[in-house]
Parts: sequence; C-alpha cells; structure tokens
Amino acid sequence: MSRLLRKSGRRYLLRHPWQLALSVLGVALGVAVVVSIDLANESAERAFGLGMEAVSGRATHQIVAGERGIDESVYVALRVELGLQEVAPVVTGNLSVAGQGLLLRVLGIDPFAEAPIRARFGAMFEAGDVPLSAFLVEPGTGVLAASTAERLGVAPGDELAIRTGTRRDTLHLVGLLRADTAREQQALGDLLVVDISVAQELFGLEGRLSRIDLVVPEGADERSWLDRVETRLPPGATIQTAEARTQAMASMTQAFRLNLTALSLLALLVGMFLIYNAMMFAVVQRRAQIGIVRALGATRRQVALAILGEAAAVGLVGTMAGILLGILLGSGLVRLVTTTINDLYFVLSVTRIDVSPVSLAKGAALGVGATLLSALVPALEATSTSPRIAMGRSTLEDRWRRGAWFAVLAGSTLLVVGAALIGLTERSLTAGFTAMLALVLGFASFAPALTVLLMAGLRPVARRAAGVLGAMATRGVVSSLSRTGVAIAALMTAVAVTVCVGVMIDSFRQTVVRWLATTLVADVYVSPPDRTVGRSGLGLDGDLSAALLAVPGASAVASVRAVHVQEAGGQTTRLIVLGVGEDSKPAYEILDGSFEQIWPGFSSGQGVLVSEPYARRRSVAAGDQVVFLTDRGERSYPVLGVYRDYATELGVVAMHSSSYLRSWDDPGLTGIAFFVEPDYDIETFMSGLVEAAAPEHEILVQSNRAIRDEAIAVFDRTFTITAVLRLLVVIVAFVGVLSALMALQLERMREFGVLRANGLTPGQVWGLVVLQSSLMGLVAGILSLPVGLVLAWVMIHIVNVRAFGWTLSMAVNPILLGQAVAVSIGASALAGLYPSYKLAQASPALALREE
Amino acid sequence: MRRDPLLAALLFGATLVLAACTQTPIDSGQAGSIAVAEAMGGGGAEGFARATEARPFVFPQDHGPHEDFRTEWWYFTGNLDTAGGDEIGFQLTFFRHALAADAPSRTSRWASREVWFAHFALGEGGRGRFTAAERFERGALGMAGARALPFSVWVGDWRVESVNGDKPFPVRLVASTDDIGIDLTVDPRKPIVPQGNRGLSQKGPEAGNASYYYSATRLAARGTVTIHGEPISVVGSAWLDREWSTSALSQGQVGWDWFAIQLEDGRDLMLYRMRRADGMIDPHNSGLLVDTDGTLRRLGPDDVRYEPGRRWESPRSGAAYPVEWRLWIEPLGLELEVVPMIDMSELDVAVRYWEGAIRVQGKEGRQPVNGRGFLEMTGYETPGSLGELTGGR
Repeated sequence: MSRLLRKSGRRYLLRHPWQLALSVLGVALGVAVVVSIDLANESAERAFGLGMEAVSGRATHQIVAGERGIDESVYVALRVELGLQEVAPVVTGNLSVAGQGLLLRVLGIDPFAEAPIRARFGAMFEAGDVPLSAFLVEPGTGVLAASTAERLGVAPGDELAIRTGTRRDTLHLVGLLRADTAREQQALGDLLVVDISVAQELFGLEGRLSRIDLVVPEGADERSWLDRVETRLPPGATIQTAEARTQAMASMTQAFRLNLTALSLLALLVGMFLIYNAMMFAVVQRRAQIGIVRALGATRRQVALAILGEAAAVGLVGTMAGILLGILLGSGLVRLVTTTINDLYFVLSVTRIDVSPVSLAKGAALGVGATLLSALVPALEATSTSPRIAMGRSTLEDRWRRGAWFAVLAGSTLLVVGAALIGLTERSLTAGFTAMLALVLGFASFAPALTVLLMAGLRPVARRAAGVLGAMATRGVVSSLSRTGVAIAALMTAVAVTVCVGVMIDSFRQTVVRWLATTLVADVYVSPPDRTVGRSGLGLDGDLSAALLAVPGASAVASVRAVHVQEAGGQTTRLIVLGVGEDSKPAYEILDGSFEQIWPGFSSGQGVLVSEPYARRRSVAAGDQVVFLTDRGERSYPVLGVYRDYATELGVVAMHSSSYLRSWDDPGLTGIAFFVEPDYDIETFMSGLVEAAAPEHEILVQSNRAIRDEAIAVFDRTFTITAVLRLLVVIVAFVGVLSALMALQLERMREFGVLRANGLTPGQVWGLVVLQSSLMGLVAGILSLPVGLVLAWVMIHIVNVRAFGWTLSMAVNPILLGQAVAVSIGASALAGLYPSYKLAQASPALALREE
Repeated sequence: MRRDPLLAALLFGATLVLAACTQTPIDSGQAGSIAVAEAMGGGGAEGFARATEARPFVFPQDHGPHEDFRTEWWYFTGNLDTAGGDEIGFQLTFFRHALAADAPSRTSRWASREVWFAHFALGEGGRGRFTAAERFERGALGMAGARALPFSVWVGDWRVESVNGDKPFPVRLVASTDDIGIDLTVDPRKPIVPQGNRGLSQKGPEAGNASYYYSATRLAARGTVTIHGEPISVVGSAWLDREWSTSALSQGQVGWDWFAIQLEDGRDLMLYRMRRADGMIDPHNSGLLVDTDGTLRRLGPDDVRYEPGRRWESPRSGAAYPVEWRLWIEPLGLELEVVPMIDMSELDVAVRYWEGAIRVQGKEGRQPVNGRGFLEMTGYETPGSLGELTGGR
C-alpha cells in the first residue's frame, strides 16, 4: 500500500510540474535567503576572528590605556626589571593606500618579542623572506601578505604611496608574508606588518605603545602574576583579558548582525507559507484519490506519511537548490555587510565567503524542517476525515470557512502573546524579535476571516462594476478559501513586512536628517580623508591644526577630538571632546532638558553629556557619574544630560576640551569646524584650508551641505542590505501568490470548461481570472497596511530601541503605503496572467474531460 | 680566534629562527642557515671599523662596547663546586651584532641598528642534567647594551655589572629563567692577557680579517646557583673571553673546536683548531699558555696535535660530537685526556652547538697533571653546511 501511495504521489507531482517547480522554488528562495545572510554574517565574523587572532596571537591579556596608549617605558620595565619573556609591545593603527581606497591595519611589532605571542611574525625573517636589517633599521619599511601585494601590484623593493590620517607618506615594501592557506590569507589580508619604530613614526606615536600583549600563566599563579604587573602600570592603564577585548569588538556589530538574521528568518517564514500552500493544494486536489486509497485500506498513518514523504522530497530538492543559491547570494551580501561594518564599526576586509558546513547544515535543517512543518497541517487534514467525506471537496472548504474563525481566535492569542512579550520585557532584543514573529503570525491568521468579510463587502461593488463575472470572482475567492486564504496571508505578510521596513527606514532617515540639520551648525568641516582612519584616533596633528586655524575668514571655530578611553568598570568608551565656545557651540537636543541650561556647566568642565544609546546601554541618567581612567588616575564625571545622537549606536560620552585637557595629555584634534564670516566667500575659505595643508597633508574639507549628504549616503548604504532583503521577501511572496493562483485556477479547469461550454468567451475567462487574482491582491494590500504599520511601530519603538538605543519619530509616507497596495495588486494580477492564459487557451471539451 | 663572527652570525640567525621554533619545532639548522646567508650577505662589512693592527688595550674603556665593529661578545664560562661536592658548569654570554654600520636618523627610540642576544647554560655534574636558555633584544631603550664605566653588559634582566662602580672588577653575573638561575661574583686572579699577536687575532690572510681579543683566564667565582627554585651556594673558577671584530668568513672552514683549560697547578691553556673541509691544518690554529704568574707562551699551528675520541650523538640534532679528546702539546711535553662532565651539553638554540664543562687529566713528562675547563664544538650538525654558507665551494 505504501508503495502505491508513494507511486501515486510521485505521478501526481510529475503531472503537475509547475506546481512542483513553484514548491521547490519557494523552499529554495526561503533557504537561500537564510543561508546567504548566515554565510555573510559568519564570513564577516570569521574574518574578524581570524584578523584578531593574527594580531593577538597567543596573548591572554593586554595592557591598554587611552587613545595615546601607554608609555613605552612601561614595557621596558616589564622586560628588563621584571624579566618577563612572554610579553610583546604593539603599536597599531590604520592607513590607506593612496589611490586604491584600500585600508590596511598596521601592526607594529618588536620581532624579538614575538616568538611567544605571534610566532608567525618572528618567523618571517627565516628563509630570507624579509631582510631583518631593512625591517629594523630603515624607516618606513613594511611587509604585506603576498596576496595583498599582488592585489596592489607591488613587489618587495617597491614603494607604496600611503596616507596616515592626513599625512602623505611613502612605504617601502621589503618583503612578503607567506599565507599558505585561504584561512591565513584571510587573517593577513589587510595587515601591514612593520617594526614598532616604523609604526610609531607613521602615526606620530613616538614614545607610546598602543598596547602590551602578555601571556599570563594559568592557574594559581595568575593573580600574583597580574598583581606584580599591575604595580608597574601608570594611571590610566589597565590590564584586561584579550578575550574581553575581542568580545567587546565583536559585540559592536552584534545588534546589526542580529537584525539581518531576523530579516532572513522572515524570508523563511514567507517561504513556509509557500510550501504550506503548495502541499495543501496537493492534498486538496487529491482528496478524492486519498479517499479512494483510504477506502482501499490505507491507514491514516500511511497516508500522512506519504504526504510528509512528498513534502520531504520537495523540501530536500528545494533546500539543496536553496543552499547553492544562498552561497551565490551570500558572496554578494558579504560585501554589503563588510561595507556597513567598515562604515560604522571598524576596518574589516573579507576576502572571501567562508562556506561553513554549520551554516549549510543550519539552512538544510531549516529548509527540510520548515517544509515538513508546513506539510503537517495538510497531512493531518488529509487523514483526519473519514474516507467517504474525504472525497468531497466542498466539505473541506466548508470546514475552512468555519476554521477561519478559529484561526481568528488563534491569531488573537498570538497577538496577545506578542503584546505581552513587548510589555513584559524591557531590554531583550530576542524577545522583541519573537514578539514581532508572534504578531506577524497572529495577523496572518486573521487573513482568511477578513477575506471572507471583505469579499462579502466587495461583492455588490464587483457586481455593479463587472456584472455576474464580478460576483463570481468574489465568490470564487471565498469558495476556495483553503488556498486563497493562505495565499492572501502570505502576500499580506510579505507586503506588511515591506511596509514595516519601509516606514522604519523612512522614519529613521527623517530623524537623522533632522538631527544632522540641528547638529551641523558650522559652515565648513575639516577631517582626515578616511572616516575609518579618523575613527581610529588619528587626526590632525598640531602643526596642521595651527596652519588651518591661521587661515583667514573664520568667525568662530569648534574642534573635535574623538578618542577611546577606559572606564573604571573596564569598558572602552568613545569620548567626543568638544573644543567649543559660546559662539561655536553645537545645538544638542537634550532629552528632558535644554542644552542652554546645561551649557554653562558643560563648557566649564563640570560634567559630561552622554548620548542616548549610551544612556540606554549603561542605564545611565542625568545626575549619575561616569568614571574614567585618565592620565592622572581615576576621575569621576557627573552626567549633566542625555543628548540625541545618531552617529553611533555604540554610545558616546561628550566632554568639553577644558575638562579633557586637565586629565589627559592629548592635545591632538580629530576634526575642526569653522564658522565663516558672513561676508566671506565660503569657497575661497575652503580652498584656503586645502592650500594650508598641502603638500604634506591631505585633508577632507567639506561644506555643511556636503557633510550632511555624506552622512545620508552612509546611512543609505547601511540600509542597502535591508532593502535587498526586503526585495527578496517580496520575490518569495510573489512566487507564493503565483503558485497559489496557478494551483487554484488550474484546479478549476473543469469549472471553467463548464463556463466556457455555457458561453463564456476566452476573453471573459481571462478577465475573470485576472479579476479574481487582483481581488486577492487588493485584500492582501488593504490588510497589509494596518499590519505593516503596527509592525513598523514595534520595529521603531521596541526593536530599534532595544538594538540601538535610538528614539526615532515614526514618519509614515502615504506614497509608500499606496505603493504597497499597488505592488500587492500588481503582483497578484501578474501572477494571474499565466493561469488565465492557460485557461483561456484550453479547449472546453478537453477541460471537461479532465477528470 | 675562538667564536668567529660566523658563530655570532649563526646565533644571530638563530634568534630569528627561534621565533619560529618556540611554537612549532622545525628543522632549524636549515632555516637558520638561510638567515645567516642573509645576515652575512655581501658588502655587509662596509662602513665598519676593521682590526688591522695590534693596539694596546685600554681599560676600563675596552670592557665596554666597540660600536664601530660589527660583532662583539662577552663570554663567561666556568666550573663551580657546591658544599656537597657536586660540580656545576656554567656559561653566560652576551653578543652584540650590528645590522648596519650607520643608520638613518629616526624619531622613534626603538630604532636601532644593533641586535643583542645572550646564552645562559648550567650543567649539573651530579644529576647529569644540562639546561640552556637564550634572550634577545634590540639595542634600544635600555633593553640591552653595554657600558665601560661603571662596567655593565645586559640583555633584558640578564646582566653582568661591576660590584664597585669605579673599577671594572669584581663583577656580578646575574641571570635566571623559570628553571635555572645564577648570581655569581667573579674576580680575576691573573692579569688580563691579550690573545693572538698582542691582542690582534688574525682570522685569515686578508688584512683586517682579524679581531681584537683578550681574556681573563682565571677568575675566582663565588655565589649562588638556583636550580628549580632551590638556591645552592657555590665557589669555583671562571674564564672570560672578550672579542670584537668585523671579520669576513674564511673559505673552506666547516667548524671549530675550542678548549679553555685551567690546570690544578695554576697554569691556564687555551687551544683551538679550525676544521677545514679539505682536512688540512688551518694555518691560523693557535694556542696560549698562561703561567701561574701570568707569563705567556704562544703555541703555533703545528705545536698541538688533536685526536678526537668517543663521539656522542645528539638525539635532538643528530650531530655526532667528539666529546672525548686526546691532546699533545709537544713544545711543553704535555699530553692531556679530555672527558666531558655531561655528554649532553648541546645548547638547544636554533643553530645548536656543544659547549660544556670538561675534566682534564694527563701527564707532563712523568708528572701527572689534572684540571678542568670548557670545550666548545661547532659545525658537527650538517657536515659541510658552514662551508656552503660562507661561499666556500
């Protein structure tokens, strides 16, 4: 009997190749999106991990301090006075290769200290790859990975034009790092290894070390060992585990990556609708056949297993295709992910997509699992009725119409669960996403019932507009609710998601635009040419700043120094030091307060401001204290207020320069903002700045407008990946509607045969089908608007706040909503074209003989 | 002419190879030799001072570094006795190697043209255990260096320094690792003696292919040796070799054997021979006898006959070192048998060599003679490789 069932199932699927193809495509697309996002995420994370490993080596601990690092004498003391061997000094920074747009991480090392920490870099002198004398003695020498050198078209002996911060410089390539495996290539890909003396000179860090790496023995000695080291540390320096540091960096991108994963799961969810739809259809169409087999003695179990078996086969094929597609898609996505990470977080180069078996297994499990789960309801459906009833198709539809109201009940429960998840949790991002999922499923459950209601409402309108055909079209949607209901739910979900994401991005963008307009008050901004390099602390050196400040035409000046400092609690925090006066102060928007009130205290250095994400992340409010390890030891700063800031979700603290310079020996600047005298030509002033910097330095001089445009460009780039995902979700949904309609309409061949035999023209059949499809699209479109807006609200006020700590004001663009409905109707009408063509072509006689 | 620049270069190559070896042991000899070829690469001697003619040594200045020369070392070896009657051999050496004769002016204080390294080894006669370690630093920021007054040489926390700042001797030797440590005070019992021709030790036929070389052949030593955390009081006798040069390598040499022997009657004997690939006696082989009163007697290439005896094969390197010797010093009528305190006295540094304490007994005519000393053997690991390195074939 099982064999018979299997055979019949196979025959059925093969006789309906389109349906089979669409089911497989549905699974494939869903899996592809999940796999590609996972691969992109994993590849970026792995590249990051390998990159970190390459520069941290075996170090268990690191001694770190503020932006200017640690005095080199600390290392000498550890080495000569304590006689430590497993300790290595490091000077790091970023530089860009002129004309190539390539950012390199610079690792400045002492080859003689490398063996216990990073054996690789001690070993590179062996085999004559790198001449030690050139590396050690000559200035401006360095070593690149062979693959990187090849990419840049340079060989040992060549010179490379580089830029560190603003300074134009030349690097002499004296050797190549061998990377034998792809893994090593990834680890070394963006690394420039130089002697520590060269690194100090490149970055103007003479006398300073970025950090000191240590291998601390494990076990009982660890504490006493650390104590011994700690007594040698100057104020401002701390010893932390290498792991903590890596984790701190990895966690910077955590929210970003989690968001991507959530979006990819949404695609899978829509894909599941599709599978469900296809399997349900397969069951529905074979009701009679199943009834016969049951009457012949097949047990429920056998029937259910046969259907699940079919689903598994579809799932397997779809999953395999999906994985292949996912790998292709992933290589594209990884670039987008990397761009965003570079824009927002740190320098990262992902040279290749890392196809990890774990990602693939995850995708496979999800694909097959989701398929089986989706087929479970149809399988139960097919077996739960008695053989006699199973033969009747109308029985099922009746049950579905009744079931629609149960679905409303279930959906309501899901909505309550979702709301409760939001209401009862405060910070959990996972709870936020789970609530979103519950809401999506909950709203989707309403779709069949609402379809029935809407169709009843639309029937008089349709009748008036299109006569009998109009009425037939509306009735047809309801009478095939088992299929149309799910298709509409799927389409509604997909469109709602696009509405949600669209509204969220719009709101975000508008908020940022408004914020930029109020924050960027100066006329001209000067900064190092690379954003990322600027973020690493390299800025405008003293001579350059002096030259720039001497350019005539400025009425007021504001300076910014962006640094990383250590908090007493061990965290590394980004500190924005503002050198602003009464005439150049920024227009900060303070939460629950006004900047004017805070200004006197802030400008006299009595306290700091914290950004909104910082306040949320650290649960800090006005009146609390922030404690930093300064060059003069621990200093405590009262928080004067929380200000809106969309520059980074990692959270920043703003301090006045008067306060900073009291406790840190760091007079450098990251950027300068100029207010140009009213009657002075801004263009002239800007070229004056460029001339003042040339030829030694290259600076970025931007007008207020240009910097705003650039910020928006970065913003848009960040959301490219979201937009791409949104598109993918729509494609998955479109395929879902297409398959549902195809199935629905093709199933009604006989019905249309009867209609044709009764005088309906092919054109009328065509019109009927397209009308019906469009009606479904209309229903999905209408339903998707409120659902999309609710989801957008949750996204903006719950998920976004939990992930990034930003308050955004929700902005709904009516055009976007109109577009959503149009897309929904358009997609459905389009999906109806092919079935209607098929039906119109079919000869009524043949159609009637179908059974 | 012991410890030719070749050794310094080899050891220098070792510093870099060691970086690789600490984690994953590799065939260091091969890898090191390539690094040596690079380090010793053509034209490297340009710009450095050369030892062309004999000059009087001036102290304390000559205890300090001679930065115009490419290579330089401070070489302490000795035999120590514990109260319990155990014998301990020690070696503590400091090497300076300049990568370039002059360096561009730089703003970073890490910039340096000098690499320093040091070897420290202890051989425990009683346990038959030999332990060695090494350190490396660049000559910058006080991490390594040397000074004439007050006399001091150091690499990291290993150091030799005068006990009283105003005069070089006595000096204190301090070094330790996780396993072994030494803290000795040594004081010369004889005047410092110039080696070679009034301190100019000729290495090859070319002018300037020579070093400045002096020794303190007998220093009284007293202090503490620490083995696995246990401090042990020791007394004994040490030997200091000082040498600096910018020598090129001679062709056809495969390695050398060097003996520093302190006889119980108070006489000290230094002997070395270069081993040539062609088996001929090298005309620059040499020796020196320092009498109890410091009187010198030079020994020429033909004055000493060397007969290697039992070989010990290092399980680590596969090198078969002749650890026992028979020596005939014909002008003195002296016949000596040399046996090692510990067979396994091979320093496990990247380019390995054998250097350990020896016992000496024999006769002078009818008179029995006894003594102790140190033996250094190089070039036994891969026959011929030194020659290849130096372009000898």
